[in-house]
Amino acid sequence: MTTLSSYSRSEFESQLQHRGVYLKTGAFTTRIQSTIPSVVDSVALLYADYPVLEDAKFADFHIRMARPSNVRRWFKPQVNFLYDGMAPFKPLPLDQAFPMFEWGLNWCVASKANRYLIIHAAVIEKNGFAAILPAPPGSGKSTLCAALVARGWRLLSDELALIRSEDGMLVPLPRPISLKNASIDIIGSYEPSTVFSKPVADTTKGTVAHARPPLESVRRADEFARPAWVVFPKYEAGSEAKLEPLSRARSFMSVADNAFNYSLLGRMGFDTLARVMDASMSYQFTYSRLDDAIDVFSSLKPLIK
Amino acid sequence: MWRIIPGQELHYREWDEEFVLFNDLSGDTHLLGISAIQLLQVLQQSAAGDDALTDSLCASLEIERDGEVEDQVRQLLNDLQSLHLVEMVS
Repeated sequence: MTTLSSYSRSEFESQLQHRGVYLKTGAFTTRIQSTIPSVVDSVALLYADYPVLEDAKFADFHIRMARPSNVRRWFKPQVNFLYDGMAPFKPLPLDQAFPMFEWGLNWCVASKANRYLIIHAAVIEKNGFAAILPAPPGSGKSTLCAALVARGWRLLSDELALIRSEDGMLVPLPRPISLKNASIDIIGSYEPSTVFSKPVADTTKGTVAHARPPLESVRRADEFARPAWVVFPKYEAGSEAKLEPLSRARSFMSVADNAFNYSLLGRMGFDTLARVMDASMSYQFTYSRLDDAIDVFSSLKPLIK
Repeated sequence: MWRIIPGQELHYREWDEEFVLFNDLSGDTHLLGISAIQLLQVLQQSAAGDDALTDSLCASLEIERDGEVEDQVRQLLNDLQSLHLVEMVS
């Protein structure tokens, strides 16, 4: 299969400017168009290993990152995220174009892909068993996810757990891991081979950068994963690593609270989440040192059925 | 007399004596304890009054009926009513 890296820079720029590039990210095909240099650079860097569908006629999402045609094209320049030609968000400063693309694509999946139960969570997998890490922003989920992925866990997603209703299996959506502020340097030091997009300052989340996922995670993007653990992470400076079992019923309620479309799906959402909880042990995990977290996750055992 | 509100199928799942129940009418999901589920299970068979429900619960939990238990059952029924799972009928 053709990957993005097989294009020359000029071919890639031309495709992005005109027909668009049809990029396969796990379960979805996204058609991307843009002439904004930071978008071109970051997509080329972080999506180099991703399959490109050269003769595609269909995409799940049609996205164009474009500068406005009004005065904000030049004066304090801005960027629009256009989905199917419409702008669902207010414009952002032009230098935030690539983070906006990533956030916008997350929004596309979270708001449109309702054939899955979608949880705001990171998902990682090892030896055939997956851990779902639901967490509100600021809990350290993405930092923990990036560290685990750097130490051999497969990345399914750093942001969106997609669960199939028919069998409760997790559907991969491996995309660049979003890190912010101090986490960027923390992961850069923890795993020096990490490839980052250029950090962008002054966003609503502070300074953000995206880390390229491991090649294997991208190559295995069509392999579903069986849930085995639901782990609620909480970073607490100076704390010892502590893994505390949680009741599965209470964990169910917390996961439902972290879902984008649990209520929308009604009974199907209930049954899908129940299937996940049937298969999973639930924990609250408090940590401060990443190496401690790696050790704890390595010791996780799946439920014996 | 109490009964299950028509339309409620009492679709629930249990792990370690804690229950999550899907509310067919509101679409909400409720976290319930074993006493609430046992009351609902009795009412699913047929409508029943406070006395019968209290006796049934005491028997299944193997506890003695007293004033405190009666108050707790009454409160639990009121809570289930507020969740639109049960209703009073004359």
